[in-house]
This record gives sequence, structure tokens and C-alpha cells, in this order.
Amino acid sequence: MFLRFEQVSLHFSGVAALSAVDLEIPQGGIFAIIGPNGAGKTTLLNCVSRFYTPQEGRITFLGRDLLAARPYDLASLGIARSFQNVAPFGRMTVEENMLVGLHHTIHSSALSQVLRLPGARAAERQARAQARDVMEQLGILEHSQRYADELPYGVQKRLDVGRALVSRPKLLLLDEPAAGMNEQETAELGEWILGLPAITGVTIVMVEHDMSLVMGISQRVAVLDFGRLIAVGAPQEVASDPAVVEAYLGKED
Amino acid sequence: MFWQTLVDGLAVGSLYAVTAIGLVLIYKTSNVVNFAQGEMAMFSTFIAYQAFTHWAWPYWAAVLAASAFALVLGWAVYWLFLSRLSRAPLLSQIIATLALFLLFRGVAGAIWGNQPFSFPTAVQPTVVRFGPTLILSTQIITFAACLLLMALAYALFRYTRVGLAMQAISQNMFAARLMGVSVGRVYGFSWALSTLLGAVAGMLIAPTLFLSPTFMEGVAIRAFAAAVVGGFASLPGAAVGGLLFGVLESLFGFYISPAFKTTFVSLVIIAVLYVRPGGLFGPRTVKKV
Amino acid sequence: MTNAARPRALAATVALAALVLPWVVARLGPAASYMLNLSVIFAIVAIALNLLTGFSGQISLGHAGFLMLGEYASALLTLKAGFPFWAALPASALLVGAIGFLVGLPAVRLSGNFLAVATMGFGLAVPEVMLNWAGLTHGSAGLMPKSPTIGGFSFGSDVAYYYLALFCLALVWYICATLLRSRTGRALQAVRDSEPAALASGINAAYHKALAFAISAAFAGVAGALYAHYVNFVSPNDFSIQDSFLFLAMIVVGGLGSLPGSLLGAVLLTVVSQLSTSLGQFSIILTGSVMLLAVLFFPGGLISLARRRRPTPRVPAPLAQRSAAGGS
Repeated sequence: MFLRFEQVSLHFSGVAALSAVDLEIPQGGIFAIIGPNGAGKTTLLNCVSRFYTPQEGRITFLGRDLLAARPYDLASLGIARSFQNVAPFGRMTVEENMLVGLHHTIHSSALSQVLRLPGARAAERQARAQARDVMEQLGILEHSQRYADELPYGVQKRLDVGRALVSRPKLLLLDEPAAGMNEQETAELGEWILGLPAITGVTIVMVEHDMSLVMGISQRVAVLDFGRLIAVGAPQEVASDPAVVEAYLGKED
Repeated sequence: MFWQTLVDGLAVGSLYAVTAIGLVLIYKTSNVVNFAQGEMAMFSTFIAYQAFTHWAWPYWAAVLAASAFALVLGWAVYWLFLSRLSRAPLLSQIIATLALFLLFRGVAGAIWGNQPFSFPTAVQPTVVRFGPTLILSTQIITFAACLLLMALAYALFRYTRVGLAMQAISQNMFAARLMGVSVGRVYGFSWALSTLLGAVAGMLIAPTLFLSPTFMEGVAIRAFAAAVVGGFASLPGAAVGGLLFGVLESLFGFYISPAFKTTFVSLVIIAVLYVRPGGLFGPRTVKKV
Repeated sequence: MTNAARPRALAATVALAALVLPWVVARLGPAASYMLNLSVIFAIVAIALNLLTGFSGQISLGHAGFLMLGEYASALLTLKAGFPFWAALPASALLVGAIGFLVGLPAVRLSGNFLAVATMGFGLAVPEVMLNWAGLTHGSAGLMPKSPTIGGFSFGSDVAYYYLALFCLALVWYICATLLRSRTGRALQAVRDSEPAALASGINAAYHKALAFAISAAFAGVAGALYAHYVNFVSPNDFSIQDSFLFLAMIVVGGLGSLPGSLLGAVLLTVVSQLSTSLGQFSIILTGSVMLLAVLFFPGGLISLARRRRPTPRVPAPLAQRSAAGGS
């Protein structure tokens, strides 16, 4: 199995954030995790990213125990992620943001970089060429020397996903990619995300609020409510699941 | 000698505790660590000195005047400077309080000069004996005054309207604002109160340390240490931290080396922060993303 | 002139001016020459601190401590271990860098305010240790390191020492500039902007934070060694916590995250504080006022006036912290 959660439980000072979550995510396509506010969606993502360690259970990626890995090991295992707050490296240029995404693929020591040894320079040149290619594909090459903070919102969003994608990860975690976007921007973003697995071969696991985006582009959907997994299946199946309907309606006043 | 050291440590530790509580009050509400706390206390103490020595006011009148001055000073510092930086990056806020540190030290030096002055005590120092242990009446006054101030600060924070507003802000600024709490006023109040606590500590310790523009530097770093031990967000934690530090430092000074006290304090700060980044009594926070 | 050529021409002009400067300043008398050399030495500290604070996002209120350690390391190595200055200088850098790494270790786990408190404690402890470890340091009597010599030539004159200090400044600048454009430098800045995102990009945040401390401390150590062999006297009173604040003021006034800004701030504040020492307390009053004015009115520093707008964070910092602490 590609990504598997087995009986994953996590509680913060007694309050259960995740309760015995069992979930298998196959390789390929787009998998969405939805649920009402505070259902534990981002928490689940943060367990994969290793910002949180569940008190019980196992998480494996391609058979490998993720809980034994440190947060900064994940990039080289092929797991990348975007964040809810856009363009996290705001005071760096677009090109530098992309190069940060390639950090784990550049193998040179700090000393060899300062001395500008041939090996370090070659690695740097190669990374810059690769970053340039991806910036061109994303249509942000013209901004390459601008600070990320100066860019319009939509471009920042694309930059952040681009930074996560530049090292060609196997698994891409997207945390609410449509947050703060209007309907039209969300539709454009959805179309773009939908195309990614086919072009890059990446598997996307997405946490999202916006139901139209989720229903439109994901192959499978898992629903969390109060830290429990209440449904998994194709978007249409899940949408008509009584437990899901109740979870969502119960939230509305 | 152990008991003697303990008594001396508790007396001075209660001063660290009061100063630390001042730091925590500001941090809890506005998330700012006031690095100028000690210097503002120093300045207020000089006001009392000025009234007592140069204007020949009675001791208690001078102390009251300096306390009133401290309240206004804290309030003014907040409104003039920190309120403008409430949305600025953390670094700007830290630097603003460092700048205030330099300003108060500089202005005090310019007005009163840099030589140490003696400062009066509240009562005539007399000695109370408990077997081989000597307790000074001034130590008792200091300890009692500090306990009283701590209890007052705690009661105020816990039970009064403004205290509840402070709590509300420290938990959720936006909700507090929505509920009609005037955030600026509460911040101004906590700055005023915090400066008052520092000033009282300054006036109580000035007879021992002698008054000079740098005399609160050592007290301030120990107050930071006490606040760190308490997790910087807990009033009782800061109180316990202050007393603990007073005693530990006193024991260290007596049994190991009086010359390396500040080094000892710094090492304890660094060690505590390394083992428990949230402080010994601080909340075990889970890093959230 | 093209856009790319303009900064290069400016840099060349500044470099040329820097080479001619001591001869012009010497005409103003020895006090001016001293101020010039001190500016160069403090510019090294400012760059070191900016690497840590401006580029890596970690505050230090204890850089005067690293400076003092550099002074003592070099003085002791030359006087007691018989090192020539030319070996003592890099050795001091390594030694202070190693201490910086140790001080930086807790930094790995500390956020801004707590780190400030911890480094402030370090800054207060160093002079105390130097004063009281009299067997090694001669306490308040101090040490008297000699001016460096090469062959028969002594760097005892202000002008000669200026070129030595300038060479070190240029080297430190070059190393920082190169580092910041490299993988390691990007990692430092990424950790500054967002630690979680940096971790997710495969950056070992803890290692890079400690590394930033080590490099910054090493450069401050170089400045300390240069200072010691310039004034030929080292004592526990040379630098205090106020000087740590002065160095912070330099980078804030000049511009956080800017190498030219560090230089600008260092020269400006060294001149201000030296000119006003004759006015007693007004030196720190002036420094404090300049710091306060800078954070209130020029948060980007003087350098931001000279170049395109440096972006400020979109989300106000306290707000970001609150929501980060309260999110799900």
C-alpha cells in the first residue's frame, strides 16, 4: 500500500484529535480528506509530516514506518507538502523558493559552497536549471527575481505548490489549497491540480473545505468528524452517506 | 549557616518574584517581554530618591510619589511606543524595549550621575534572632510586602473586571475584542501595574544594592530567570521561580562561589530552556502548524 | 547604465573610497582614525549579527559576549601560548565559533523572546567570568596583547591597522555573501520565514540554527581579536550588555537582512556613539533614540530608503502567533 494509517490516535491534553483512524490511500490520482471544522483533517496531515506524533498506531509509506522518520527526512522519502498560509518563504525570491524545494537534492557541504568548489558549483547550476524549467511550466518565470510576498495571491499559491513539486515527489500533501480564494480562482486552481498527477505522476492527498473543489477533482474522499473516520469512497457515494450528511448538517445552525 | 542562607535567599527571592510577576503580566496580555523592566524600576526608584533626599519628603510620601510615577510611566511607555508596534514583528518589539532600556539608563545617568547613592529603608534595620539565624527587620518587611503585592496582583488578575479582561485577552484577543474588551486600555493597565511592581522591588532592594543607573541590571536578569522557570505565562510560576532563584543563588554564592552568581543564573536559564523550552511550570505546548 | 551595472559601479566606488579613506581621515587627527578603525571592526560584528538575526531570524542579546571571548582568546593565545597573531586570529574564530555552537544549541528549541533572554544571560555572564577567572585573565588588570607584525613591518599605526581590519571585513563580507546565495544560506532564510515549511522541504532546521550561531559567533570572535590587538589592552570592562544592544541597533538602523545595511548601520552608530562619548550619558540616549525611531518609522532600516520596497509580512506577527496557537 502507498500510504496507510493503522489505528492512529492522537490526543492533546486529554482531548482526542484523532481516534483510531484506519485509512489506506492508493497510489495515483487525487485523494481528498474532508470534514467539518476541527474534525482533525490538518492534524492527520501533520502526523504524516511528522509535526505531530500520534500516541498510538502506525503510519507507513510504501511499507516504510513514517513514525521513525524526522520531519526533515520526508522530502528525501518523496513526500512534499504545501501549507495553508501561502508562500511560506515570503522574504525570499521566487527562484530561491524553488531552490529551497530542491534543498534535499543538492548534495554539498556549507564549506564547499563558501569555497565555491567545482562540485558545489555544478550542483547549484543543475538545481537552478531545474528550478527554471519548473518556473517556466508554472508560468512564473517572469517573477523569478521578485520577493514571494510581493506577488498576487494566486501566484503565491502556485509558487507554493510549485516549490513542493519541484523535486518530483511521489506524494504531495495539500493543506486547503483553495483557502482564501474566490469561486473563479478556485475553479482555475482545481483544473490545474487535476492535471498534476497525469503530468508529474505524483499522488495528491488534499485537505479541503471547499466541497465543489473536492467533488470536482478527487477520485476518492475520506470524511473525518470529531477525529473519527466516518466514511471513505467515491465522492458521490460519500456525499449521500447518511453519517456524512448528519455530520455536516449537524454543524449548520 | 544553611538556614541563614535560606532566609537571605527568600528575602531577595521575593523581590525577584515581584519583578518577574511584572514581566509575566505584560507578556501574558501583550506577548511582549519588557527588557526595560529593570531600568524603568530603576528610574522610578530615583524619583523616590529625589523626593526623599533633595526635596526632603517623608519616606512614605516619597515611596507613594514614586509608585504613582511608575504607574504613569508604564502607561505612557505603552501608549507612546509599544501600542504603535502591536502589529510589528516580534523583533521590532524586542528592540523597542531594548531602546527604552538604553534611554532610561542614559537619562538617569544624565540627571543623577553614575556614582552609587544610599537609599533609605522603610524601617530602622533591627535584628531578630532564631537560634544562630539572624533575620533583619527589613528582610521581614521586604518579604511581607512582596507576598502582599503578589497576592494583590493575583487577586486582581483573578477576580476583578480588569483582571478578567486581561485573562480574556491572553486567551483569545479577537474574542475578547468582540466581547467589548478595550484591548488597548487593558494593555496600558498591565504596563502600568507591571512598572509599579518593578518600582516597589527597586525601592526595597535599593538600600542593599545602592542606587545607580545600573543597579537593577542584576535583579532584572534574575527576574527573567524566574519568569523563564515559571514558563513566562504563569503568575504563580513566576512567584515560585523568583523564590527558588533567590534561594538557589544564595546557596550557590555561599557554598560554591559568590563571584560567579550571574554566570550561575545564566547557566540555569539556558539549561532550563534547553530541557523545557516552555519553562519548568509552563504549559507543555504541542507545536502547531 | 544598465540595471545590473549600477550596483557594481557603486560597489567599485565604495571599495575605492574605502582604500583612500584612512589617508583623508588621518588629517582629522588620531581620534578620527580610531573611530574609523572601530567602525570597520564593528562592521564585522554587525554583519555577523545580521547573518544570525536578519537572515536566520534568531535574536542575540549577547554578541558583546562573543566579541569579548574573541578578545581574550586571541590575547591569551599570543601572550600565553606563544601563537603569532596570524595563527591566533583564525584560532580565536574557531574557538568562539565552537562556543557559539554550544550557546546556539538551546536556540534550536527557543522562540524569539526566550532566546533573547537566554542570550542576554550569556552576554552578562562573559564579563563576570573574565573578571573572576583571574588566574587566566588577570581579572580587572587585564591583558596587553601586542600589535601584529609581518616580517619587520608592524601594524601598530592606525593606517596600517585599518587595512588589516578592512581586509578581514572584506573576507567576512565575501563569505557571508557567498554563503547566503548557496544551499546553506537559503536554508537559513527558509527557517527564518517558516520553520514548518523548511522542515517539510527537507531542511534540518535545528542544525542550521546552531550553524548560524556558530558562524555568527566566529565572525564576532574575529572582530574581538582585531579589537584586542588594535587597542593593545583587554579587560572585562571593554564591552557590556549595552554594546550588545548597540550592535542590534546597528543592524536595525542599517537594515535587517542586508549586508550593505549592516555596514551603513555600523559606521553610523559607531560614529554617533564615539562622538557623543564626550557628552557622557548622551551617547546611550542618542543610541536608544535612534533605535526607537528606526523601529517606529523605518522598520526596513536606512537601506530600505535606497532600494526597492522590501516586503513586510502580510500577517502581523502577533496575530500569526495567536492563530497558530489556536488552530486545529
